[in-house]
Amino acid sequence: MPKILIPTPLRQYTAKENSVTVPGGTVGEALDALTNLYPDLRKQIFSDEGKLRSFVNVYLNDEDIRYLSKAATPAAEADTISLVPSIAGGATVAAPPETPTLSNEEILRYSRHLIIPEVGMEGQQKLKAAKVLLVGTGGLGAPLGLYLAAAGVGRIGLVDFDVVDFTNLQRQVIHSTKDVGRKKLDSAAEKMLGINPHISIARHEVALTSENALEILKDYDIVVDGTDNFPTRYLVNDACVLLGKPNVYGSIFRFEGQATVFAYQGGPCYRCLYPEPPPPGLVPSCAEGGVLGILPGTIGLIQATETVKLILGIGEPLVGRLLLYDALGMRFRELKLRKNPECPVCGAHPTVARLIDYHQFCGVPRQDAAPAQEAKLNDGEIDVTELKQKLDRGDQFVLIDVREPHEYKIASIPGAKLIPLGEFPKHVDEFDKNADIVIHCKSGMRSAKACGILRQAGFAHVRNVVGGILAWSDKVDPSVPKY
Amino acid sequence: MIRIEPGPWKAILAHAVETYPNECCGAMLGVTDGERKTVREALRLENAFAGAQAARYELRPEDLLAADLAARKRSLDLIGIYHSHPDCDAYFSKTDLENSCPWYSFVVLSVQKGEFHHANSWLPNVEQTEAAREELQY
Repeated sequence: MPKILIPTPLRQYTAKENSVTVPGGTVGEALDALTNLYPDLRKQIFSDEGKLRSFVNVYLNDEDIRYLSKAATPAAEADTISLVPSIAGGATVAAPPETPTLSNEEILRYSRHLIIPEVGMEGQQKLKAAKVLLVGTGGLGAPLGLYLAAAGVGRIGLVDFDVVDFTNLQRQVIHSTKDVGRKKLDSAAEKMLGINPHISIARHEVALTSENALEILKDYDIVVDGTDNFPTRYLVNDACVLLGKPNVYGSIFRFEGQATVFAYQGGPCYRCLYPEPPPPGLVPSCAEGGVLGILPGTIGLIQATETVKLILGIGEPLVGRLLLYDALGMRFRELKLRKNPECPVCGAHPTVARLIDYHQFCGVPRQDAAPAQEAKLNDGEIDVTELKQKLDRGDQFVLIDVREPHEYKIASIPGAKLIPLGEFPKHVDEFDKNADIVIHCKSGMRSAKACGILRQAGFAHVRNVVGGILAWSDKVDPSVPKY
Repeated sequence: MIRIEPGPWKAILAHAVETYPNECCGAMLGVTDGERKTVREALRLENAFAGAQAARYELRPEDLLAADLAARKRSLDLIGIYHSHPDCDAYFSKTDLENSCPWYSFVVLSVQKGEFHHANSWLPNVEQTEAAREELQY
């Protein structure tokens, strides 16, 4: 009847007993008896195939049974069996690499840096040794990529899975007209290496997700967030906090921008500023609301400046301060940001201990979902081709366009009555509750909201035009310009 | 949640800084009350990795067994393992995960240029495929 000592964490499976005496003439029999007595314990010690788990060592008194007779080792009355995990590990990445040296060509190239005392040779070597990840190679990523490459940041990672399209060219200056249709990663890397062949570029052609973010981010010193959607922004923030990496943040909308450095040496994070995302659809993206093409240049370069300062360890980083930029007033303002002790990810009692489903968190569908045009129509939706047939047949129905007047001027569907979404609730009473009503906007988001308003008010026959006027241009009338 | 009392926390920091630029490792003894773990004592253990220890550590099972017995003698429990990552972040690396065990809290300390930088506590799963971050107070 040997005694088995139970390690603390396993006592939850042994009714809190810290040692259990079991029958058995050998160690193997004793362990079988133990796990028969406490079946929940079995999974902790044995794999599904019934083998001892790789991290479990079994000791008889002070000897490892592997060096005795393994499971057949006799165990007598006075013997003690212990379960001891084997534990090892390590940072894996070896100690910091040797400081890189600069070739004569590089010394010439970086001459204007080298003669600044605050940068000098040491600073330029730090830049060369630095590893910076740019999430997104769009509006913000364009100036970031160009200038960080020029400055000599030695390793730059790019995350993007998109291709260049015509609407990008008004601001994403890293891409050219000839690049339309090309992968943004390839187009950006080509320009960056064209400016500076002494750097290396890692291309991550993926959408950043909870499954891959930590693996991608862990190899970089600094993460720069150039994304334009809330799920990725929260994902980048949480991953940076979990990995202890600074998150150089920027965002833009129409004429205004923001920038700050999150999660740097105990400073506040994005969730300290915005614990919860806004309700879906409340804050329009650049695609929905527009952006002055120059604006991402200004904000992206503020991010680039902060990145270079962090690498060099000079100046006062933009930590604990949210910089607000108003291009129309041409003013900068600063808001103090404090770390929120209740912050769910970086506070004293974090409730977010691993990456979550950020699309669900933000209440928005995944971007990689099947395109809407191919999807089956849901109740309360109408396809543009069916709308065209309705118009051609001369059906009795009301067609409402809930976009803004300046959008209506760019393109419109004949016969549509313009009521911008913001004014829509005031006009609800103007329509017959039993009328056949069809509503459209640019892509179908705003009109879905308008449909909801009418249904809530008791309207019986309301349908949303799937894909909006963009789909109309694609499938019905290509002469209608897309914007 | 795991809380490390000031005494053992100071001892762990001193161990990590003294061992820099190599990795240090040790055991944490304390008490568990439901989900709340409190570390009362830190026990230095030898890094038994045969080779460069700047980015690797290994615990001898005998040392761990001795730590467990020492804990029992003091009416404490062995509740966690700590180790340092010199000039590297306090994440749970692939090496850490593959050589971990799900029974204990794994506190990782980042020591940058010889000074303590930040720390995290991790809870690996039984399949050793992932580790969840545990709230750490010190």
